[in-house]
This record gives sequence, structure tokens and C-alpha cells, in this order.
Amino acid sequence: MALDVYPLYERLTNQEIIFCFCGSASQPIVEGIGETLLQRMELEGTDTGVVGRVFQVFVEQMQNIVNYSAERIPPPAEGGEELAVGILIVGREDGSFCVSCGNHIENRHVEFLSTTLGKLQALDKDQLKALYKERRKNGHSGSKGAGLGLIDMARKASKPLEFSITPVDEKKSFFSLTTFI
Amino acid sequence: MENLVLEATQSSPQIVFDAETGVLEIKGKSYPENPAEFYAPVLRWLKDYLDLADTDEVVVNMEVIYLNSSSSKAFLNLLQALDDAAVKGKRVTVNWRYHKENEIGLECGEEFGQDLESLTFNLVEIAER
Repeated sequence: MALDVYPLYERLTNQEIIFCFCGSASQPIVEGIGETLLQRMELEGTDTGVVGRVFQVFVEQMQNIVNYSAERIPPPAEGGEELAVGILIVGREDGSFCVSCGNHIENRHVEFLSTTLGKLQALDKDQLKALYKERRKNGHSGSKGAGLGLIDMARKASKPLEFSITPVDEKKSFFSLTTFI
Repeated sequence: MENLVLEATQSSPQIVFDAETGVLEIKGKSYPENPAEFYAPVLRWLKDYLDLADTDEVVVNMEVIYLNSSSSKAFLNLLQALDDAAVKGKRVTVNWRYHKENEIGLECGEEFGQDLESLTFNLVEIAER
């Protein structure tokens, strides 16, 4: 029996979702969708500054899925790229844009992630800027982003980042993050 | 020394470093999957050039519409190498070009400028696309 996607489509569009992605992501997906998103916002006459911030947050969130999602589809034995699974939604709410993403994470990362985000929520714009510059200068580049991505998102946001972590089983939890712009 | 020329891709900028004229240009968007890996050869070329070149004058033109956070770290490393060369006596000028309506571009340039001490850092506004 085929899935009737119309109710889902209706529900999403009624909620002013302009873009929804769920599945396996990779860098070419980030680039393709990113360009389309830019095009759409420009066609709709969105303020250039807002377009830039939404695009920036979109890229950080998508690349977080690609780099950190604990749900992965391994490459074939002879090598190649593995795929990471997650969800990303861009919508509008009360005149702002909101970009939300979600993916599985390993339970051992829950505490670090919630402490880091909790700290960022409490900082104002100047404190975020100071932290960003300090991390950019001194952070080790071993981690793919030195945590800079989260700080950057908090700086681009019009209100504190919102997140939740839902336990799934003894190994994994589901992490979701929303940025308003 | 050979020039460094990298064509732009969807997620990486055009890079043209001309060893003869001492003019280095970076133009476009930067959000490759692994910026540290992407910029490693660029930083290596730049450091070699700064060590080996006879010229005392280096001009860097940067016109970056968008860069993700880990590219921003890689850019700081490039600028830091240029700043170190300026400390040692080279005349280094960085022209950070941004479109008037691109407030992120301006903010980003201002923040790089604040982190550099010895080179000359110019914010250059360019007309609308």
C-alpha cells in the first residue's frame, strides 16, 4: 500500500515549512540544497543579511549531520563515502525564519552537548563574539569545527538556541536543535 | 616558484596566488566538507612564498561572500601567516572586499582585522552585484 504523502505535505505547508529534508546527507546534498535555498529566498525578496544568516545556519546544521550523526550507512567494502542520516527543516514562524535539525547521537556525548549548549544559551551577543574569537584563535583544529559551528549559530540567531535530547535506547539518543533568525 | 591556481567549486573559492607579482586573490564561497584539509596546501604555498620570495610587498585581495565556521579558522591561519611576515618586515596589505548589502561579509572582515597586528587591513566596499 503506497504511502499517501498529501496529508504530510498539507501539514508541513500549513506550518509554513518551506523546506524539509529527511534521510541520508552528504556534502553534495548540502551544496545542492543550499544553492536552491539561496535562490528561493532571493526570489522572494528576502533581506540580503537575513539570507546570509539563514544560509550560514543551514550549512552548519547540515554539516553537523554529515560529520556527527551517529546513524550512518557504511560505504561499500572497497571504500567510498559513508552517508549520515538526519532531518533538517527550514520554516517561518511569526516573521522569523527557523532552521531545525535532528540526528541520533551516542549517549556518551549527551552530557558534553547539553552542557555546551546550556552555556551558550546564557551568553549575550558580546560574550558570544568574544568566545568565538577566542576559540577560533586557540581552539585545536583536530575536531572538524572546534565547536565553532554552535557558537556561530548562536551569534546568527535572533534568540537563544533551543535544543532537546530524547533517550532512544541504551546506546543512542536523538538530538534536535532549532535556530531562529 | 610556481603560481597556485585553484578553480572555484560550489563550496570552495577561486584561489589565484601569483608568485611573480605578489598578488594573492581568494574569491567566492567557502564551505567545503573539510576546510582544514582543503586549505592545508594553500597555507603551505603561502608560507613557502613568504619565506622564499624576493619581493617585500604582498597584496592580498579577498572577496568572500560566505564562509562556514571551520573555513573561518583556516582563513585566520592564512592571515596569521601574513601578519607574522609583516612583523618580520614585509609590507603586507590585505584588502577585504565586501558587497554593501552583505552585512555578514563586513562583520567578518572587521573581526579578522581586529585579530591582526602588523599588516595593513583595508575594508573595501564594492558596488552591488
